[in-house]
Amino acid sequence: MLARHYIGESWKHGLLIIGALIVLIPFYMMVSMSLKSQQEIQSISGGLVGAQEIQTFPVCTKHGYTEEVCTMRPYKYNFWFAFKKAPIPRYLMNGLIVTVSIFLIQVLIALPCSYALAKLRFKGREFVFSMVLFCLLIPVHAIALPLYVMLAKAGLVDTYAALIIPWTISVFGIFLMRQFFMTVPDELIDAARMDGMGEYSIVWKVMLPVAIPALLAFAIFSVVAHWNDYFWPRIVITGNRDLFTPPLGIREFRGGIDSDEFGPMMASIVTVTIPLIVAFIVAQKRFVEGITMTGMK
Amino acid sequence: MHHSKAHIWFVWPAIILMIVILILPIFLAGGISFTNYNLGNSSFEWVGTENYEKMFSRKTYIKMIISTATYVLIVVPVSVVLGLVAAIMLNSLRFGADIYKTIFFLPVMATLLAMAIAWEFTLHPTLGIINSFLANGCGGIREFILGFHWLPWVSSEDSWYSVACANNMDFPYWLKDKKTAIWTICFIGVWQAFGFNMVLYLAGLTSIPRELYHAAEMDGAQSTWEQFKLVTWPMLGPTTLFVVTITTIRSFQVFDTIEILTKGGPAKTTYVMMYAIFEKAIQQNITSIGAAITVVFIIFIILLTFFQRYVIEKRVHY
Repeated sequence: MLARHYIGESWKHGLLIIGALIVLIPFYMMVSMSLKSQQEIQSISGGLVGAQEIQTFPVCTKHGYTEEVCTMRPYKYNFWFAFKKAPIPRYLMNGLIVTVSIFLIQVLIALPCSYALAKLRFKGREFVFSMVLFCLLIPVHAIALPLYVMLAKAGLVDTYAALIIPWTISVFGIFLMRQFFMTVPDELIDAARMDGMGEYSIVWKVMLPVAIPALLAFAIFSVVAHWNDYFWPRIVITGNRDLFTPPLGIREFRGGIDSDEFGPMMASIVTVTIPLIVAFIVAQKRFVEGITMTGMK
Repeated sequence: MHHSKAHIWFVWPAIILMIVILILPIFLAGGISFTNYNLGNSSFEWVGTENYEKMFSRKTYIKMIISTATYVLIVVPVSVVLGLVAAIMLNSLRFGADIYKTIFFLPVMATLLAMAIAWEFTLHPTLGIINSFLANGCGGIREFILGFHWLPWVSSEDSWYSVACANNMDFPYWLKDKKTAIWTICFIGVWQAFGFNMVLYLAGLTSIPRELYHAAEMDGAQSTWEQFKLVTWPMLGPTTLFVVTITTIRSFQVFDTIEILTKGGPAKTTYVMMYAIFEKAIQQNITSIGAAITVVFIIFIILLTFFQRYVIEKRVHY
């Protein structure tokens, strides 16, 4: 009986390991290329990390650095040169500014609205809620073109505002919070009113703390979506490098298969991709919850 | 009952933003699609349905519909089934499930654009490890695979693998060949999406009460397959509906991999709708055609969600 169990189990592990290896191939490629020298990449040799021989990098000397500066191990060179070639910290900063602003504005708009929809009685409440349900059907990416035309007419292309405005309203956030607030007992709110709290303080001092778990899930969902979003920034940021978000930065590093050196290029891509992946691995449970819960309810 | 005007200040900002950001653009796209308006031009004329006629008669746009449909029809079922299979397997494991879960979820989290570039190198004909792996396998692995000659696609010496080995390692160019490009893009789409579906199915599986399986066993459903048919699959109905809906909507919006890897080519075989909107309206500044594609696109998505929400929903409840 037990033996049969183990055979069944190892058969599954075999399949899952093959699946896991296939899933990991591009990650392996990415990390490996960011560590190895150009020759090793081109000859597909050196395994994951390469030989790491100290050498002088010709592209580096061509950029006007002394031979002494340009002599080091490949992994060090790739990351060092990546930061020399592009303002990576700036891109990461932009990513942070945009994702955090989007999230804060979304909460500022959605939280009071969902509280009103769940707990206040007023004329037209049902209508507003059905509007929310209808808007849930519209993916913002699908209406990107008319939005772009509107922003262009307003002279907002190539600004932070263009990156943020279309995402300020999250009907999804409203829906999620509303469902969450429905489960909060009315007594809590009544007690707050007895204590003489106004509706505004109820939203921010009573409902907000109660909603933290849902907000956290929504935060993860929102930040992941906008940190990784490429389509929208690609449309509204046309040339100003100072406004590049991480994915736009990645695109710029790429320069194509024919770009002179792959190592530093992959090093920049790894640098930009790593913050989110590390955050995910550290707080895995929360991430999975956040991203799934946001859909299931 | 409580009386306050607070709700006005609570609800109106959201209403205004919904109207301006989500609803108005749909009408704007509808309006522009009946004109010859280009961004930057001061004047325009009404042209009736000309843009739509172009869209449904020109080869480019027919190809656009075909490649979008191919992508959606491959990625949705494959990633849903893979997600379900992975979830069921992980659910039955006694150890190690968490590690697989993390790995399978990694592509969902990672910046897709970065991963597209990583795939570009992985699949590259001379730099990539896929083709070098295949080339290394031409000796040993090929013999090993030919051992399975009873399988139809390795039946003989003229299987594509043997031919490629014999012709000086002539392996597919994956993203550059019009025969393989769309399938490769689909593969990357599945790679990216199935972990998300798996996690949703895992959540769905934990909510199935154990007693149902005991009851099914009592009723004579002994094999795993029978229990799956009788309990698991019907109980996962709502999850499946949700998973299918969200994967479909996401697949319709595929863009990142296309822009980085194929730019709609070769021969427009990967010319999906989002890329078409981007290329026509943003790069070539033909706003009116872009608007017409946008309208068709939105109609597709809304019809689909309505269909899934209201028609199928009636059937998934057991």
